[in-house]
Amino acid sequence: PFRAVPHHHHHHHHHDDASSPISRCPAAAAAALVFGIRVEEGRVPELRPDPLLQARPLPPAPLPPLLLRRRRLPLRRLPLRPPPPPSSHPSTKSSIPIPRFPRPLLLRLSALHGGILRLEIDELETASGSRRRFRVPDVLLPDVDDGLRLRLPASAPPPGPLHLPHLPRLRGRAPPRPFELVVRRSPPATPSSPSTPSASSTSRPSAPSATATATATATATASGRSASAATPTPAPRPQSVSFDVSFHGADFVYGVPSTPSPRPSPSAHPRPRRRLLRALPPVQPRRLRVPRRLPFGLYGSVPFMLAHGAGASSSSSSGFFWLNAAEMQIDVLAPSSAGRVDTLWMCEAGVVDAFFFVGPGPKDVLAQYASVTGAPAMPQQFALAYHQCRWNYRDEEDVAAVDAGFDEHDIPYDVLWLDIEHTDGRRYFTWDRALFPHPEQMQQRLAAKGRRMVTIVDPHIKRDDSYYIHKEATENGYYVKDASGNDFEGWCWPGSSSYPDILNPEIREWWADKFSLQSYKGSTPSLYIWNDMNEPSVFNGPEVTMPRDAIHYGNVEHREVHNAYGYYFHMATSDGLLKRGDGKDRPFVLSRAFFAGSQRYGAVWTGDNTADWDHLRASVPMLLNLGLTGLTFSGADVGGFFGNPEPELLVRWYQLGAFYPFFRGHAHLDTKRREPWLFGEKNTALIREAVHLRYSLLPYFYTLFREASVSGVPVMRPLWLEFPDDKETFNNGEAFMVGPSLLVQGIYQEREKSVSVYLPGEQSWYSLREGVAYGGSASHKLDVREDSIPSFQRAGTIIPRKDRFRRSSTQMVNDPYTLVIALNSSLAAEGELYVDDGKSYDFEQGAFIHRRFVFADKKLTSVNLAPANSGAKKFSSDCIVERIIVLGLPAGAKKAVIEPGNREAEIELGPLNLRAGSSPVAPTIRKPNVRIADDWTLRIL
Amino acid sequence: MRKPHLRLSLLVSCVSLLWIAAFATPPPRESLGIAPQDENYFRSSVIKCKDGSKQFTRDQLNDEFCDCPDGTDEPGTSACPGGKFYCRNVGHAPLTIFSSRVNDGICDCCDGTDEYDGKANCQNTCWEAGKAAREKLKKKIATFKDGVAIRNQEVEKAKQAFAKDEAELAKLKNEEKILNGLVEKLKEQKERIEKAEEEERLKKEKEEKRLKEEAEKQAIEDKKATQDSQEGNVDATLEKSSEVQLQEGNDHRTEVEDGNNQENTKSDEGDEVDDQGNIESYIGDDEPIDGLSSTPTLEEHVVESEDDNMIKAASRDDSAAKAASKTSEEQDHAPLDTEGLSKEELGRLIASRWTGENVAPKTDEVRENAKEEGDEYRLDTEIPEPAEESYDGYNSETDEEANRYEEDDFEDERDEEYNEDHIDPADSYYSDEAGKSDHSGGSSWLEKIQQKVQSVLQAFNFFKTPVDLSEASHVRKEYDDSSSKLSKLRSRISSLTEKLKHDFGKEKEFYSFYDQCFESKQNKYVYKVCPFKKASQNEGHSSTQLGRWDKFEESYRIMHFSNGDRCWNGPDRSLKVRLRCGLKNELTEVDEPSRCEYVAILSTPLLCYEERLKELQQKLDDMMRQPSTHDEL
Repeated sequence: PFRAVPHHHHHHHHHDDASSPISRCPAAAAAALVFGIRVEEGRVPELRPDPLLQARPLPPAPLPPLLLRRRRLPLRRLPLRPPPPPSSHPSTKSSIPIPRFPRPLLLRLSALHGGILRLEIDELETASGSRRRFRVPDVLLPDVDDGLRLRLPASAPPPGPLHLPHLPRLRGRAPPRPFELVVRRSPPATPSSPSTPSASSTSRPSAPSATATATATATATASGRSASAATPTPAPRPQSVSFDVSFHGADFVYGVPSTPSPRPSPSAHPRPRRRLLRALPPVQPRRLRVPRRLPFGLYGSVPFMLAHGAGASSSSSSGFFWLNAAEMQIDVLAPSSAGRVDTLWMCEAGVVDAFFFVGPGPKDVLAQYASVTGAPAMPQQFALAYHQCRWNYRDEEDVAAVDAGFDEHDIPYDVLWLDIEHTDGRRYFTWDRALFPHPEQMQQRLAAKGRRMVTIVDPHIKRDDSYYIHKEATENGYYVKDASGNDFEGWCWPGSSSYPDILNPEIREWWADKFSLQSYKGSTPSLYIWNDMNEPSVFNGPEVTMPRDAIHYGNVEHREVHNAYGYYFHMATSDGLLKRGDGKDRPFVLSRAFFAGSQRYGAVWTGDNTADWDHLRASVPMLLNLGLTGLTFSGADVGGFFGNPEPELLVRWYQLGAFYPFFRGHAHLDTKRREPWLFGEKNTALIREAVHLRYSLLPYFYTLFREASVSGVPVMRPLWLEFPDDKETFNNGEAFMVGPSLLVQGIYQEREKSVSVYLPGEQSWYSLREGVAYGGSASHKLDVREDSIPSFQRAGTIIPRKDRFRRSSTQMVNDPYTLVIALNSSLAAEGELYVDDGKSYDFEQGAFIHRRFVFADKKLTSVNLAPANSGAKKFSSDCIVERIIVLGLPAGAKKAVIEPGNREAEIELGPLNLRAGSSPVAPTIRKPNVRIADDWTLRIL
Repeated sequence: MRKPHLRLSLLVSCVSLLWIAAFATPPPRESLGIAPQDENYFRSSVIKCKDGSKQFTRDQLNDEFCDCPDGTDEPGTSACPGGKFYCRNVGHAPLTIFSSRVNDGICDCCDGTDEYDGKANCQNTCWEAGKAAREKLKKKIATFKDGVAIRNQEVEKAKQAFAKDEAELAKLKNEEKILNGLVEKLKEQKERIEKAEEEERLKKEKEEKRLKEEAEKQAIEDKKATQDSQEGNVDATLEKSSEVQLQEGNDHRTEVEDGNNQENTKSDEGDEVDDQGNIESYIGDDEPIDGLSSTPTLEEHVVESEDDNMIKAASRDDSAAKAASKTSEEQDHAPLDTEGLSKEELGRLIASRWTGENVAPKTDEVRENAKEEGDEYRLDTEIPEPAEESYDGYNSETDEEANRYEEDDFEDERDEEYNEDHIDPADSYYSDEAGKSDHSGGSSWLEKIQQKVQSVLQAFNFFKTPVDLSEASHVRKEYDDSSSKLSKLRSRISSLTEKLKHDFGKEKEFYSFYDQCFESKQNKYVYKVCPFKKASQNEGHSSTQLGRWDKFEESYRIMHFSNGDRCWNGPDRSLKVRLRCGLKNELTEVDEPSRCEYVAILSTPLLCYEERLKELQQKLDDMMRQPSTHDEL
């Protein structure tokens, strides 16, 4: 098989990153970029530099040298379309002025920290007072705008590239159209000298391994509304925007999550597919193996794309993000022979606010993206454990019985969920008092076992005058309005409903207050929230959502904000929980709709899937995709929402789901009960083992979530994220990495006998189950076991586990650790452990333990990774390490000496897992009993 | 009994308090979490893992490190995932818990011994909890004691009933054989007569004039017509109106739910309920099929219920008879009635099918009652579904069984049969006296028939030409009567065979369930469970089938009904009825835990097993003894 250049260097690079992720910075030697921006109009647009902003000096921080040059491209000329036909509405006929084209456009170019270029194109505010184009607020991190504003030459610029940092302040006319911006990583020249001569870029024309070339065509065409036949109402004025982005040196693009199901659910189903306005279908199926039909994005959209490619000698990545919440369509053309992927972006409304990320590694691009839209929030510990959900657990008795069932069968779980039927007639924040007469006690009973409850709160508010939410919203005018200015009414679960105008910060505030313990009757501090249907779902609306001409805060039309509606809803709910806990309790909110930035507010899931093998298979690329667009806290419904899984499928789903970042079993109202113990002893045992595996890996998962919250690198990763040079991994949508150390291969077929697993990298891999070593850079045909799916620990890594199983993760807090060390060919390994209180934000003030374990020369050392005086608060733990398993250690070692204290610990052959029937496979250090909070060394004699 | 126990309990609570105090410090490691019966296992200095995988030293016992993958070495800690922790729970019942519960901050054992690391403060609640548990157990035992007694009686009755039915079946088969012989002979004779008549007719045809020929033909056709009606081609309108009558009769029904179980059981045993909602059964007053002594009438239990189409149990001397008589009476009125009806009246008539409202005049009830008693008895020949099928088959009603079950017109057809019985006045092979003498006195009716046939045959032994018309018709009539009786007999045989082939439990104890239905009202629904037949959920006049009888499961602890009505978007409905010991048959707690999968609980004395009683007593004894065991420590 293809072998890339050994990327030791690369690995070290990433280890370094992981070690101090907060100070992650792009490699100095990284290349640079060039942007080409093309603005095309029927006629020459006026491009004016932003008069308000002055160029600031470059911050000392590592902005790679940027080159800007203009160049003409042979363009696909967009035909100038005639102005829209006058509205059929007679009254508006005269009132809508037909705009004059072209309009003056404003172009801004800014260089942000960390290798990001931002391009904005908007209409220049005119005196006519016409409505401004919508810019999606509250998505970008507040400090994003700190970059250097660059200015373009106003008149015909001198030929040849311009060095951005030295762009002369030019005013006047913009460059001729079309306008192209080429972003190119600069040669590995002198990073200290920003005045690298332009010649360098021409001298190595073929050098750039990942060049993002963006060709932006902002067309203020007359009737440029992309395919939206379902919407009868035209925009007040044409706003569509389109441009092309070409990724050079890319083999494929990833990202732009969408498509929850390989095929549409049966139309007769009462819970309709809540399809979103089209949000970009374009990831290459070939790469991702998303089954067959790729419909539209259904529940959310993140217009971020990551391109990756591997050349002969090296690999590189680049990324592109367009902040726009209107209906968007992206076409991805097959990669050209020149290693270029062309993408065509079209949007119904809004502005161009685009970000170019230059990498060079895929993790760099992710970090760059995270620096714009934010890194994932750090979840509470419990949220990473197993969640049990069903539509619906009917009443308090049912809840108690399910809770008891888990205990009776010794299966841990942390959260019990209640779907819509728990409410009084689907009035959220209420309880069906006949079924749930004592919600507080019910939650307290769960809480006594360290368990939480989640209830659903959807955005559709029942139009019932006796319902306090509706009353307040009506009185305050908090609902989204229809085109004629009345409260919009749509049909959803409760019947006739209205929707809070959550775009409005004031309304978000109001909404957030509804989650206070005083306001939400029957809630307790152990209650968390689930936002469903927040796309928003409107059963009787066009495309099962809100009409495009519904009016939001600031006279914004729904068409402009649609894809971000659920995001604001998620945000407001999350803020509500934050407020409820006085800013001390990390919120947990699961949302179905999502947008760029949703990662800051909680988890998402892939929506309503089906209990069949294809959906099991599809879950992996979908979750990988979500992770790559920042939404790492994601999962698919284990077992499949619709339909009844065969026991084998259910077991396989648990085995795979145990590695999902978000691990929840869920089922539709019409399905048979499927609590884990309902399928016979054997299957109960298999599911128990899958759930146990997840619980034992919780310390590892928690550490990975910490890494994600700092670096933006997802927990669940495509193989190429860890092995970017290995082309063999590019097509693999069946296996994935959990962090840098675990590789998991799902079993996606009934009664599968054997499976072929490709293990990348030079180092070998140890099977999680038995510790058997398999060579790297090779495909292995493995017998499929009933009790587990193929999963491996990479040699050279250390994984922290907790092998004592409790009712819930809450009781595991004080339990001792097991360290599993898988030695590489040079008998070395390293890994990390991050621990904090699992609940609060004290970690932001330094209250955490962050260790790195390094094994080399038969010596295991625990090193502190936390900054010496990291903050005002401290976190400590008495937890010890009870067992250290060393895979790959030559036999013969009998003892280990622990410093400080000069204590001895015995070494004997032990099993990799503590389960009946497991046999000893690896040298195991018995009871080293070192504290994880301390520095120590353990030397094997 | 009570006083000494009280004193004992006081003593024990003092002791257990002391005991708690003693255990405030962690218990000795060597005994932690080990059940008394296992103590010896852990005595030696080198101990084997129970799965034999390895061995460990006594130092490694409960040392917070898992050496045995099966958990043998850590019964008292949470170190092994597979471990089990034993708590003595003095004052209550001992408990074995997963070792994952040890020192997890949650008090699992009432004596608090599972939390010894000092982080959780567990009170010893064993005595309190134990007391409650003992009281509960005592009550349960009391129920079981009574239940066992009832059960024994029931089992005895069931056995007898079963034996009796078996005997009857054997007898019927024998009768069938004989009767079949007679019918064959009659048929032969009849054919000979017909042949002779035919010959005669042909002869006459030649001889007589055309006019006469015509007259002759007319006569023959008339005869044929009579025959047809006897064979059951009843007019459709007739069916409908007869059904109306049935409905009316259905208003009087017994309910199983009320108080006196034994009485119900007895009376119910005589009742036949048919799946499709028709009247079944009745067995003559003095000859209950189960051989029980006659029971008081159930008037006091009669509850008016218009909710469904089923008759649960017509009280013997009243409802069924009424229904029967009315139906017969209906014959006279029905065809006329429907023909002459206005639209509104017709509407009412049709509506009455659902409402059960009486639209037909009630006349001559008493007279009919008396007259029809014999027929009534005969009704029980058509009972369980499969029997119906064969019955229908016998009458060559061409149809697809599967479909017809769900159809309304099925009822009509049943009624038709019903009517037919009454059309033919001679059609009762269980005549009054036959019914009375039946099981003990042998087949006097059969003998009579035999004699009669014999004489008829003898009388007809020699042919005369021309054929004696009156004697010929005599033969025909005898033939018709006998073959009709034969068909009834066969249908009775097939229904009995059908019944007897079911699995009624190890001691045939569920035999009486065959003829019973149990109901439970929950909110707007009435659930009705008829063992060996079907179960339904009724709301007003609509009935949803929850399932047909499938089988017993878990050694007669669950009755499973499957293949009920299809669920929209779900599976076919099904019902599992869990049986448990109770003093009376009572259906409770119908639930739908999963879409269209129902569960219910049926209390019945039949589940009050003696062995289980012994177990419970043993358990109670253990609980009572525990304190003293501890006392010795």
